[in-house]
Amino acid sequence: MKPPVLEAMNLSKHYPVHKGILNRQIGAVQAVSDVNFRLMEGETLAIVGESGCGKSTLGRALLRLSEPTAGNVLLDGKDITTLPPGQLRDKRREMQMVFQDPFGSLNPRMTVRETLLEPIILHKVATGAAAEAMVSDLLKTVGLSDFHAGRYPHEFSGGQRQRICIARALATKPRIIVCDEPVSALDVSVQAQIVNLLQDLQRQFGLSYVFISHDLAVVRHIADRVAVMYLGRIVEMGDAETIFRDPRHPYTRALVAAAPKPVPGAALPDRAVKGDMPSALNPPSGCAFHTRCPIARDICARDRPDLRETAGKQVACHFPDEAATIPASVAAPMSGVLQQRLAVLDRRRAAQG
Amino acid sequence: MTDAATATPAMTAPPQRLPWWRRLLRDRAALMALVVLVLIFAAAALAPWLAPYDPYASSRKVMLPPAWAARGSMDFLLGTDPQGRDILSRLLYGTRLTLLIGLSSILVGGLLGSFLGLLAAFYARLDPWIMRLSDVLLSLPAILLGLALVAALGQGIMPVVLALVVSTIPDCARIARGIAMGIMKQEFIEAGRALGLPDRQLFTRYLLRNAISSILIFLSLRFGQLILIAASLSFLGLGARPPVAELGMMAAQGRDFFLFAPHIAVIPSVLILIIVLAANIAGDALRDVLDPRLQT
Repeated sequence: MKPPVLEAMNLSKHYPVHKGILNRQIGAVQAVSDVNFRLMEGETLAIVGESGCGKSTLGRALLRLSEPTAGNVLLDGKDITTLPPGQLRDKRREMQMVFQDPFGSLNPRMTVRETLLEPIILHKVATGAAAEAMVSDLLKTVGLSDFHAGRYPHEFSGGQRQRICIARALATKPRIIVCDEPVSALDVSVQAQIVNLLQDLQRQFGLSYVFISHDLAVVRHIADRVAVMYLGRIVEMGDAETIFRDPRHPYTRALVAAAPKPVPGAALPDRAVKGDMPSALNPPSGCAFHTRCPIARDICARDRPDLRETAGKQVACHFPDEAATIPASVAAPMSGVLQQRLAVLDRRRAAQG
Repeated sequence: MTDAATATPAMTAPPQRLPWWRRLLRDRAALMALVVLVLIFAAAALAPWLAPYDPYASSRKVMLPPAWAARGSMDFLLGTDPQGRDILSRLLYGTRLTLLIGLSSILVGGLLGSFLGLLAAFYARLDPWIMRLSDVLLSLPAILLGLALVAALGQGIMPVVLALVVSTIPDCARIARGIAMGIMKQEFIEAGRALGLPDRQLFTRYLLRNAISSILIFLSLRFGQLILIAASLSFLGLGARPPVAELGMMAAQGRDFFLFAPHIAVIPSVLILIIVLAANIAGDALRDVLDPRLQT
């Protein structure tokens, strides 16, 4: 079996918090704690969770954009956490990033041509006329035209900019792209275009994605595997199919239940999860989710459950079987009026053929 | 629907963008300010050839009003001062000195200050040191510092320029740091890091290139202020030593005769006003053409 292209081993990122005139450290925000995963070649691993659960921090720590506090990141089995800056720079060729905000992640003073040439020249992928030809190829690959090269980022729409960002990420011919909420700033119709583009590129170049998102509909569409994060830890990880069909962590069930469904009349559960997410500065004892969990018991506040193999995936819960009984969605009968309207629409569609 | 409309709108080639100097010339106010500035700089540079009289020689016609006044003479277009020297000639030489002081201090102080400010924003660990240094400099008012330097070094242009430079550095450092901090927070800096750009390129291509136009506008405004401070210093009797002509000093000399010969003080003051105003307008226009986001 091939080694994973990217592997996280006990990766943690804590931000120290200082206070007072003596600047004493009074604690640490535990943004990411003890994360382990493997990313295989050509695979898309989605990292999902609500805002503030540490998924973006994890993405940045993977690329060493912020230095991990503990743990290691292995690229092709080689540790990159201890590489000196010069060697790390060379490794960046292999792993690129697409950011959430297509308006902020392009240098407004550089034309598209300059933006795309920069990584090509920097990593000596090509020079001179070959580099220019590559820029034109990249633009075509992401669905833009040659004449776009002379323009500045502010002359583009959000979707076009995200295409430019993707082209920039592709310029070094990387093997891994970390996508940090790449579509959440875009319209739904444009989201679909970008997600499809990412999938096409993956097939074309054999890319591996770490796809960070809070949008379960998008994740369901693109991900091969899913890791669910809560308060800096992975609470459930497994094949996308099984995660969505049979979530075994109460938090995952709540997330899946809270996602809007394309079924008219389907009701959302009254309240998927009660309360707010606890502070990462002072996470709850035991299982971090026990303060909001509907099936929490005494043990949950005492012992933190490890990720264990359950029902074909890894779940960090003391009672994964009981969790399976929590209703993940509430089916509501369609109202009579709605059924009539849908029937009319169906007839029309059939008539137009 | 026509064929053109069915094609993606983005697929039609865009109109060619004008070069920056063409765009600058399209702005009427900026054009006028630039013309005025160029004329003043040219007149100052060519003072020895343009001046009708020796700026230091007395003509025995004392406090003659300008040519357009009732008792004016065409021989002395802007009249004469209490020593009977031709005001036009002195104005030309005085502008030369004033601009020289302003330009040299804005160049040295602005460059040093902006660089320090950008550095402070770029390397967070240098920030406290640079900012404490700037706090120390900031606590020295330019005029007081000028007085002290003149006391230490003797009267002349150098202590004035030094005082202006020292007072410009902390202001520029603070402004540049503020501008740069805003830029450093943006995602494209992180994107540049993710590409693997070395610090030097990140600093010049990402930070400096985005900060430069805002810094330029500040420097052009600051240039106007420096001219004013320089004029105030020589108004107070620091800096240029009589009989050397300097705009602020000329205004100061006219102060005593203001009631019956106002032109002696008013003419150099108006020229200071024009220079400062033109510099501000030109700086504003420069920002407009240098910032690609503000282009239509």
